[in-house]
Amino acid sequence: MRLWPRRKVRPSPDVILPPEGVPLTLRVAGIGVRLTAQITDVLITLTGMACILILLALLNLTRPQTLFAVAALIFFLIRIPYYVVTELVWNGQTLGKRLMKIKVVSHDGRSLGTHAIVLRNLMKEAEIFLPGTLLLTLDNATPIASLTAFGWVVMAFLIPLFNPYRQRFGDLLAGTHVIHLPQPVLLKDLARDAPEPREQGRKLTFLAHQLDHYGAFELQTLEGLLRADDRQLSPAAYANHRKTLATIIEKIRRKIGYGDPVPPEDHAAFLSAFYTAQRAHLEQRQLFGDRRADKHHAEADPPA
Amino acid sequence: MDQTHHLRSARFRAEREADWQLLEQLVSLAERRGLHRMEFAQARDLAASYRRATTSLAIAREISLDRALLEYLEALTARAYLSVYAPQERLGGLVSRFFLTSAPQAMRRSWVFIVIGFACMGLGALTGYLLYLENAAWYFVFLPPELAGGRTPEATTGFLRSVIYDSDPDSSGLGAFATYLFSHNTRIAIFVFGLGVFLCAPAILLTFYNGLSLGAIMALHVDRGLGWDMGGWLSIHGVTELSAICIACGGGVQLGAALLFPGVRTRRDALQHAGRDAVKLALVAALMLVVAALLEGFLRQQVQDMSTRYTIGWGIGALWLLWFVFAGRVRK
Repeated sequence: MRLWPRRKVRPSPDVILPPEGVPLTLRVAGIGVRLTAQITDVLITLTGMACILILLALLNLTRPQTLFAVAALIFFLIRIPYYVVTELVWNGQTLGKRLMKIKVVSHDGRSLGTHAIVLRNLMKEAEIFLPGTLLLTLDNATPIASLTAFGWVVMAFLIPLFNPYRQRFGDLLAGTHVIHLPQPVLLKDLARDAPEPREQGRKLTFLAHQLDHYGAFELQTLEGLLRADDRQLSPAAYANHRKTLATIIEKIRRKIGYGDPVPPEDHAAFLSAFYTAQRAHLEQRQLFGDRRADKHHAEADPPA
Repeated sequence: MDQTHHLRSARFRAEREADWQLLEQLVSLAERRGLHRMEFAQARDLAASYRRATTSLAIAREISLDRALLEYLEALTARAYLSVYAPQERLGGLVSRFFLTSAPQAMRRSWVFIVIGFACMGLGALTGYLLYLENAAWYFVFLPPELAGGRTPEATTGFLRSVIYDSDPDSSGLGAFATYLFSHNTRIAIFVFGLGVFLCAPAILLTFYNGLSLGAIMALHVDRGLGWDMGGWLSIHGVTELSAICIACGGGVQLGAALLFPGVRTRRDALQHAGRDAVKLALVAALMLVVAALLEGFLRQQVQDMSTRYTIGWGIGALWLLWFVFAGRVRK
């Protein structure tokens, strides 16, 4: 039996293998989210810089000629420890990253080391901030330096676009990447509290050959539909929903060859009974090594 | 017995649900307060419960088709993984370890690259010196006008002397410190390190070029009989600052060399491996640049005596060398 298609499958970038050996899915954070977090952090550090600068000005410690240089110095002295310390204390999250619910993880699934955090944040300095500052301070007199700094910053922004983990150059060196923090929400088990059919004495049963038509994909689509049932709906939307249910039930009945028509008041009960029976059947097959991904399982993988 | 109990996956979930909810509480506690502030029993339960959850996840993937359950377990285990494998190092220990052991050890390990850095600078200075003596017009090639600050071959000897022994109070203090820190040499150091990744060449060329301008300016002053005075003016911060550039060059060359000659590793692994020492070199260079800016901003204008300038400059250089050579040695 062939489980995988022949062509070379690249491992998904969202999978991390922790030392326990059970692969975990942690979605890689995109450029937009990370940029937002970064801008938030820059705003926070800039605010800190402005406060100190005003304090220095009030104490008469600065001169107008050197104001820019002093500002750059203070910004530099604030932001260098800011990123390293916040990521160390909050386990790979700066304030901006906490806001956007993203987080730095080690690429190899091990613990995020101090070295990695220090390295990736110092490289941020060399990648973006210092060439950026240079770009702001230079003028027309030195076109070569300006162009070099500009090209450097553009390159630093382009590197993440060309690798699946969206790593910056600093991430590449430190062996880290940034992920979305997953939110665990436990929904109720649909198979446990299924509604009873209204019609007394009537039991909905499905035969094995009737359950052979669908696979996991259809089952989970049905699960999504049943869970959506819980929401509050407006009357128009509710009528629409009832119509969808009727169509789906008609389709299922025709496909599996279920004889009796289902009265409208039993629609919900029929669907959950079918869900439970189908899930029991598919899980049973899966235990025996017969994984059915979707309704095309019969053509894709003929039984030996 | 109702039908759901025939469902293996539903029974599986019912048996373990309480444990998962406990883990959820422990994880949120660990995320809010940090692992090291949790009680012993809680930390122990977190680790054990996390490992049970990974087992549950592995089993659920095999036996369950309930997407809600799979997604929940996946997210819960991932959250627990992130808090169990959190960095567990104190900040204080980190700083002292850097100064006492890891930085000097990294310096000693990469001495070859640092020697290359110094050699680039030295050769550049020698070339610049000789070329200037051959033809003074080279001076304008090596030194951009804003760096020379009027110190050109046309300037009078009196003017050159006045720059060396200038005690303008405006060029001292916090503002001057900040200005010097972000001056020409810091930019050179950053570029030298960062560009080293591109197969060493830019780092070596930039350092060599920096040496050229150093040699040319020295030659100009030696030509006017101000060689020793210029030496003193440069020494007080230059010993530290130019060494910082050479060390940054060493770090850059180390990164470039890892890409050029990765050995048995892949290029990416070699780069990561070389990065461990190269970053420490960059940090040392940054520290030295800050010290150099302090010296330049506060001491250079206040100390006007030539021999004191030499003593301070080279004395601090010797202290750096002592730190690199003797700190963090492991006693056998």
